[in-house]
Amino acid sequence: MSALSRTRELVAALRHELGAQDPLPPAPPLPKVEPPPVRVFPTRRTESRYAQAASAHTTALLGIGHVGTRYATDVVLQFQAELAVAHEAVGTELPDDWAARNGLLPLRTRVADHREFLLRPDLGRRLDDASLARLRSDARRGVDVQPILADGLSAVACMGSGLALLEAYTRELEARGLTVGTPMCAKFARVWLEDEIGEAVGAKVAAILLGERPGLGTGDGLSAYLVFGPRVGKTDGDRNMMSNIHARGTPPEQAGRRLAVLTRAMLDQGTSGVALDLANLAAELGEAAGTAYRAPQKRVRLVEVER
Amino acid sequence: MALRATIRGRTYRFESIKEVLAKANPPKSGDALAGIAARDAVERVAARAVLSELTLAQLRQNPVVPYEEDELTRLVEDTLDDQAYRAVQDLTVGQLREWLLETGTTGARIRAISPGLTPEMAAAVCKLMSNMDLMVVGRKCEVVVRANNTLGLPGRMSSRLQPNHPTDDVEGILYSTREGLSYGCGDAVIGVNPATDTAESTAEILRALHDLMRRNGVPTQHCVLSHITVQMRALSELRSPMDLMFQSLAGSEKANTAFGISVGLVDEAYAMMRELATTRGPNRMYFETGQGSALSSDAHHGADQVTMEARCYGFARRYKPFLVNTVVGFIGPEYLETGSQITRAGLEDHFMGKLLGLPMGCDACFTYHSAMSQDELESLKVLLGAAGCAYLMSLPVGDDIMLNYQSTSFHDIPSVRGLLESRPTPEFDAWLEAAGIMRDGRPGPRFGDAEAIR
Repeated sequence: MSALSRTRELVAALRHELGAQDPLPPAPPLPKVEPPPVRVFPTRRTESRYAQAASAHTTALLGIGHVGTRYATDVVLQFQAELAVAHEAVGTELPDDWAARNGLLPLRTRVADHREFLLRPDLGRRLDDASLARLRSDARRGVDVQPILADGLSAVACMGSGLALLEAYTRELEARGLTVGTPMCAKFARVWLEDEIGEAVGAKVAAILLGERPGLGTGDGLSAYLVFGPRVGKTDGDRNMMSNIHARGTPPEQAGRRLAVLTRAMLDQGTSGVALDLANLAAELGEAAGTAYRAPQKRVRLVEVER
Repeated sequence: MALRATIRGRTYRFESIKEVLAKANPPKSGDALAGIAARDAVERVAARAVLSELTLAQLRQNPVVPYEEDELTRLVEDTLDDQAYRAVQDLTVGQLREWLLETGTTGARIRAISPGLTPEMAAAVCKLMSNMDLMVVGRKCEVVVRANNTLGLPGRMSSRLQPNHPTDDVEGILYSTREGLSYGCGDAVIGVNPATDTAESTAEILRALHDLMRRNGVPTQHCVLSHITVQMRALSELRSPMDLMFQSLAGSEKANTAFGISVGLVDEAYAMMRELATTRGPNRMYFETGQGSALSSDAHHGADQVTMEARCYGFARRYKPFLVNTVVGFIGPEYLETGSQITRAGLEDHFMGKLLGLPMGCDACFTYHSAMSQDELESLKVLLGAAGCAYLMSLPVGDDIMLNYQSTSFHDIPSVRGLLESRPTPEFDAWLEAAGIMRDGRPGPRFGDAEAIR
């Protein structure tokens, strides 16, 4: 028998073994598929005992169950909604006229567009020429504190509670007898922009209040970064910061008060960052000192469908 | 060295091997930010053509950071295995690529030459390889390590359980840990990034995890990823149970200075772990890396981020680590802008690390300001699994509530294992079966039931 005919015989036998006519016979019919048990993203009513106990200690999404090894449909939708909220916060641009409409001196960095803002942090740390000229001609000079509102990585947060934070902080600074610079707002701004601005107006302390990088389901958080003796070339170790400023974290009113305490300490000690001694202010500062316990924020359900 | 190539009559000239290495890279926003990327796709190919003709000996003679200026270059040069190096020194980079891909080149043969390779050689060959090339060779590499269990065996894929908490609430950490274990996660390590970088807090978390592992007889390792000096205090002064000691590494002496570490300091930590670690070993260290970290502290010396990443592995291999992973999408879009860039970087890092003899895992992840979709991220986990990646991360719905980024979920680990028919480490596998969490490698009666863990 030739090699070719042997191969033909082998192939024929193999085809027979795999099912002579159809390699995959039709599936047997099923009776009506019953809906699986209701699995929903935990709410007060439906969450598991484990999820309920865990939620007193963490915002991690626990006790959500599984279908096979994947998520229930309701969990998928909740997750996608949280993701969409975060992406929307990153993608939203501060309208060009927003600062002026709200009585703030409008400033802009050297960044041309939103994509460049994400890719070129160096350009977001410096003002464009027109803004620098405007700052020099229009802003009050030689103040104790120069607050700067800015978009950062969430224009949504800036437009949401930015004004409330700026007002609260300014009020608390003035109540402590400090002089406060012209209210201003910068577009496409990174944290280190406060160095150039603070230096240009001759402020003792610069404080930039800007949208923080969104997390899942949270695009409305602001952070504040403060530096004593601002000038270009300061590094992260020279700054003090406070994050999670929003309704579910530290509300703007409370944050403004804590930031004013922090500012006062910088002026008293003539320094900021790792060199600043906050030991005696712990109680007054709360978590701005980086030590106090903060209870977990409640995770909110985002998707509701009307049936 | 001419460092010249001609494409359709146009000649491309390069000034240095460092420039050739940079321009041979696939597009990365970080290389553009550093101002060292190829101008266009044709120049990129020209650089690759030049690179393919360079010999490994020429790469050894031209490290991207000079010997006199950098202790990592000195470490690699002074400890390179001479016999292994002599076996490959005359190969060109193009020939090394082909040798690695040959069917006859087994994992054992790659392991034999690995100690003779410098990081620059691993980075160079990486630049000549497509994603699937990287996967094919990555899969061949054999790296098997042991602490309390045995990681990296064929047909196995492990996970780090990452129960982070914004305020280090120990109860909260334990709730996440228990649930993760019930999905079969955590055989690489239960590792917490602490919010507070103090020895006391590190010790408190280590103790709680240690107790949970004891109580349930879980054969795995634990770790708190505070700064190495903080862990050293927790270990030597507070006498914490500590299975693995962690540190982030960068690819130059200057960048490591910004991280507050040096070869001398990590040597000291390693010696301390050999004496005091609670694991049986012989592997006791855990390192994390990631493309772009050198540039972010202006310590890249004009070199590209793939080459700087490979240099981290040259540092790591000195300590025979139990775990190394690249945190690939965490650094942000200014270094890796899109899903395709993050995917490419994950496969590159896995390949280079494995080639240099490390048990590579990957934190396949994105921050919410990068241009990577959830679907792309899920695909990357499967690609990594198929490439033989030793472990991925695992968190509740992949959401890190402390560091605010998206990684691998508790549900992803059994899903990828199911797709690739892979299992956890043998010791952990046996524990999962005994606990009823898995049954014959599939979800068992207690799967996803956190109350199965006390």
